[in-house]
Amino acid sequence: MTRVADMFSERPWALSFFGAVLVWLASIAFTGGMGGGDMLTSAMALATFMVIVGVGQMFVITLGPGNVDLSLPANIGLSSAVAMKVMNNDDSLVAVGLLAAAGSGFAIGIANYLLIRALRIPPIIATLSASFIIQSIAISYGRGLQIKPPDGFADFANAQLLGLPVLALGTILFTIAAAILLQRTLFGRGVLATGQNMNAAHLAGVPVERIRTITYAMCGLLGGLNGALLAAYFRGASNDLGSEYLLASIAVAVIGGTSVAGGKANLPGIWGASLFLVLLLTMLNTFGASPGVRMVLSGAIIVGVITIAGGRPSGR
Amino acid sequence: MMGQLYSVGRNIEAKVMKFVSKALIVSLMGASLLAGAAHAATTDKKIALSNNYAGNSWRQAMLKSFESVGKKAVADKVVAKVDVFTTADRAVPTQAAQIQNLILQRYNAIVLNASSPSALNGAVRQACSAGIIVVSFDSIVTEPCAWRITVDYNAMGRQQVAELARLQPKGGNLLEIRGLAGTSTDAKIHGGITEGLKNYPQFKVVRSVTGDWDQTTAQKNISAVLPSLPPIVGVVSQGGDGYGAAQAFAAARKPRPTIMLGNRQDELAWWQQQKQDGYRTWSASISPGISSFAFWVAQQILDGKPVPKDITIPYLAFTQENFEAELKAIPKGGVASKDYTQAGAIAIITKK
Repeated sequence: MTRVADMFSERPWALSFFGAVLVWLASIAFTGGMGGGDMLTSAMALATFMVIVGVGQMFVITLGPGNVDLSLPANIGLSSAVAMKVMNNDDSLVAVGLLAAAGSGFAIGIANYLLIRALRIPPIIATLSASFIIQSIAISYGRGLQIKPPDGFADFANAQLLGLPVLALGTILFTIAAAILLQRTLFGRGVLATGQNMNAAHLAGVPVERIRTITYAMCGLLGGLNGALLAAYFRGASNDLGSEYLLASIAVAVIGGTSVAGGKANLPGIWGASLFLVLLLTMLNTFGASPGVRMVLSGAIIVGVITIAGGRPSGR
Repeated sequence: MMGQLYSVGRNIEAKVMKFVSKALIVSLMGASLLAGAAHAATTDKKIALSNNYAGNSWRQAMLKSFESVGKKAVADKVVAKVDVFTTADRAVPTQAAQIQNLILQRYNAIVLNASSPSALNGAVRQACSAGIIVVSFDSIVTEPCAWRITVDYNAMGRQQVAELARLQPKGGNLLEIRGLAGTSTDAKIHGGITEGLKNYPQFKVVRSVTGDWDQTTAQKNISAVLPSLPPIVGVVSQGGDGYGAAQAFAAARKPRPTIMLGNRQDELAWWQQQKQDGYRTWSASISPGISSFAFWVAQQILDGKPVPKDITIPYLAFTQENFEAELKAIPKGGVASKDYTQAGAIAIITKK
């Protein structure tokens, strides 16, 4: 028993994968083994989008107490519309559209940072009020219309390779790159140092403000890209496209072993936690739980898991 | 001419002298001014729309319908001023504050798509006591002093099952997509579907998922359950979720069932695509033009006409035969809508 506990405390991400497997087994036990593989495929596809914003949010949260980006849902909504409008239903413009979405997200990230830094507003308030502005821009820009992606791009977002979604495969590569960025580069170490103690990091010569700028900008950029990919996968941009990613982006980071207090991040855990959240929804849907029960249960389970995850001793 | 006679006949109180004299003048001045005189009682009235969310195609079409019908009414001198106010965040306090502002700005009538059936009652009562007519539509308020305009959702649910029985006479397993949990709209459509199913025991709802009238939500939740479901012959829905359902079945590489659609442009365009291999279905939803109907209700009340406090208007449906003509008229990514004329609105108001 202690060995199991040790395994989880040394590898905080293992717990989230363990949870994901548990809810998956519960769902296939309910269906009598039917559709287990398909369940995983569709969970992988949906988890991909949580991972992309979860990684951005993880870097921001790691910057230290109070750092969080609450503008992601609005960012996703606006960027999805920007991407689809630029692509204009033309497959040759996909790259331009992706760039535009990334650009719009990047600009939102920079604006968030400026609000926090120049006006000295706490990140929670700054990014939340930014999201009201972004939402209004999105409404007047998109006029609430569902704008469709070009067919080739939509097919790509839905494509599968050996039963695995292509987007998920790409995102696994991206997560590995992000892990290297976090653990093996000056920037990543700087993020961790800033999160552990901003003053100490500053005195030790870490360019704290530059690191915060880049982190918020990166989170915004990932939100923007996610918006474009979501619009392709769901075949349509809309203002509400990102609404679930407010809680989800924070939850996957925290469940995955990233410390809310900052200074400690975990990348594999983001995948585990995203799969866990998506499979949890699958399980509750499979059980045929009513919407009320589903919301109460998923809320309670997230709170429960975060309590357990937060209560374990820090690895090193 | 009819409207004029009607208004003269009905106003037997203090206003009658004014009307009779106006009617005399009008008959002297000729037919071209008839319309203006018929609405003499409301030419100096101001009507405002209070709305709490603008972020989807249905709400945008709803705002547009109110605005265009209102603008025309101002140009025709039916009313003095028509303004559209909308908040962005669906929050109750913001809309309550907005209604209080509208009271201070002395609008004669407030047409309301409410963020909550009960939480705005305080603000609505304030408006009523200030002598302002409040007409709620779509998402209505329960405050008794306000008028309530709803769509016959129950009939829409029942008709869906009847249409499905026609298209899939052999019956089979159904998937039901529900709307926003806790709303009266969701309860009524679901109730209609349940009632309808009693007449067609060959159908069985094997799973129901929440779609929130939103393509993305519907697709996500259907994708989650599809692997665990037996073959599905039909999908009963609430509008705005049909395209998402189609995508979910395609993404899971499952055969395409008969999906009841909800008048969105993407749904009808998808239908047109599928039609090439003989696909048949049915589409129905609430028309965003209900806002223009609410506008005419407010105008009629201000005009002193007797208007019942609860009005039910028909839903808007399209069949295999007529959906393509409509599709051409809907903006890309938008939703089918029908603006009401004054005559059309009066016909529904006075129908017993």
